[in-house]
Amino acid sequence: MALSEWVRESRKYILGTIILVLVLAFIPFIIGFDQYLLLILSTAAIFAVFVVAWNIIGGYAGQLDLGAFAYIALGGIVAAQLLVVYNITPWIGMFVGAGVSAVLAAAIGYPTFRFGIKEVWYALLTAALVVILNNIFHLPEVLGSLDHYLPPANGWYYLKFPVYENIYWFILAMLAIVVFINLWVSKSKVGYYLRAIREDELAAEALGIDVRKYKLEALVLYAAILGFMGYVYIVIAGTYSYHTFDSPHSIAIAIMGIIGGLGSIAGALTSAITLKVVEEYLRASIGATIPGIHLLIYGLLLIIIGIFKPDGLAGIYESLKKRRTSGRKKISGGGNP
Amino acid sequence: MMDPILVTNNVLDGLLMGLLYSLVALGLALIFGVMDIINFAHGDFVMIGAYTAWLLAMAFWVDPSVTAIITVPLFFIIGIGIYKLVIEPVLGAEPLIQIAVTVGLGYVFQNIALALWHAEPKSFPAPWLNFSISAGGITLSVAKLIAGGISIISLYLIHYMLTKTKFGLAVRATSANREVAPLMGINVKKVYAITFGIGTALTALGAALYMSWGQTNPYLGQSFSLLSWVIVAMGGLGGVIGVLYSGLIVGVLEALGSTFITPSARLAVVYLAFFLLLWFRPRGLFARR
Repeated sequence: MALSEWVRESRKYILGTIILVLVLAFIPFIIGFDQYLLLILSTAAIFAVFVVAWNIIGGYAGQLDLGAFAYIALGGIVAAQLLVVYNITPWIGMFVGAGVSAVLAAAIGYPTFRFGIKEVWYALLTAALVVILNNIFHLPEVLGSLDHYLPPANGWYYLKFPVYENIYWFILAMLAIVVFINLWVSKSKVGYYLRAIREDELAAEALGIDVRKYKLEALVLYAAILGFMGYVYIVIAGTYSYHTFDSPHSIAIAIMGIIGGLGSIAGALTSAITLKVVEEYLRASIGATIPGIHLLIYGLLLIIIGIFKPDGLAGIYESLKKRRTSGRKKISGGGNP
Repeated sequence: MMDPILVTNNVLDGLLMGLLYSLVALGLALIFGVMDIINFAHGDFVMIGAYTAWLLAMAFWVDPSVTAIITVPLFFIIGIGIYKLVIEPVLGAEPLIQIAVTVGLGYVFQNIALALWHAEPKSFPAPWLNFSISAGGITLSVAKLIAGGISIISLYLIHYMLTKTKFGLAVRATSANREVAPLMGINVKKVYAITFGIGTALTALGAALYMSWGQTNPYLGQSFSLLSWVIVAMGGLGGVIGVLYSGLIVGVLEALGSTFITPSARLAVVYLAFFLLLWFRPRGLFARR
């Protein structure tokens, strides 16, 4: 699709995204650059990037990927090691990390889709992938049991700062880009193919859609975005080790995607940002007395949404909109193309 | 070069663990095979079962394996309750929805455990059965031998139930065709509820046996869930025998990974085998069809 055509077709959503990101970017001024709040916002924003990227494989292609941190950690650790060992700037390292993650995704995805592995088996395979990489990076020849640290130096060369606002703005810029990639995918031929595959794979194949190819493209794109953002995740986390290959967080990303509503960018954004902020708030307020309370709420939400509203927040929004069609038009970030 | 006696010892140990894995995975195989429910919370039932066994063992000061007398019937009832509340509404739903709901259930279990007992591992401090016997250089844990023995007996009992009883016939009929089964006078909903109850009860039995030597934490279920699914994938729908063989293979693979690489890489070996299995034998090693 030509660029101008894409811009014309998704003008409303592009504008919505830009407004949303600008509003989010303005928050540090309101909260007076409170570093603790900025850390929470940065965490929420980077998870929003992950969930919006997950939307490509999980929402459009309908493959329940539980392996997000396989790609995030791999890409991030590659970029971090390039910086630590060879002093190569993450501006190069992040692209290398994205490339390595994409190659891994292609190597895993090709046989997986070739042999028609889907649904529960795809979910299990991706969950197992995180554990395998975790175990491999735990070997003494790779990272061993120790925590590793980025160099103490700060600055744009290291994409690492003594304050959080710079990294927060960088993540917001990336968030806008990843939302645009989603919009592009959703409006392009590939997006329609992917949704056809999600609805009925056999029918899609019968219509001549190369199911394997488009699933693989979705997986590689998702993995590349995650691999690229891995370094930023490590900057926020402060350290990296085999623990960065984190199964519970990988599942959490899929959960946020499902709660948001499959295939909905606005839903993915809303659920990631809301759940992460609520999570941090609960952790800070009652987390000391009841550890894990936020995850308990995730679990309950997931059960309730699964049973009563399988199309997630986006579905709730749609039914609200239907109920008041004559009401005034609401501006929503990203929209629901 | 590895000491052959050590390798034999570890493989035997792996076989005993494999028996326990088969017992736990059989519950999942029943739930998946009969009801077509994708249960991602199966391992978390093991975790809750392990805490229950630990609590009872501490209260009555008996070996945790003994508490199975209470936990198995208790979990049968809990299983039916969970089935009615959470599973029945998503029967026949898309796989993704079932996964989401059961992942949610697992999260709830994990975080209830975290809230109640915190992250520190819990174990029974008086190791009644946790001693070893040696013969010819081979040393095996008595607790694991007992667990393996009880697992085999339980597997046989389930096999007997499925193949020789009227209820087993109803289960197999439902599994074969859930549209036609009710026409033959089978109460499918009841079969489902009882099957889920049995599957859950098996996790409690496995958990009680495991607590004789093991320790539990809120995340114990994650590896049990994945291992059980690997066993189900390997066993195909080959019945109890398939699950038994697959459990033994997983136990041995884990032991070999632990021996020849390092203990922390043992799961990677099993999961790599799982990748190859799904790619090259997607119907499992022991599929009937």
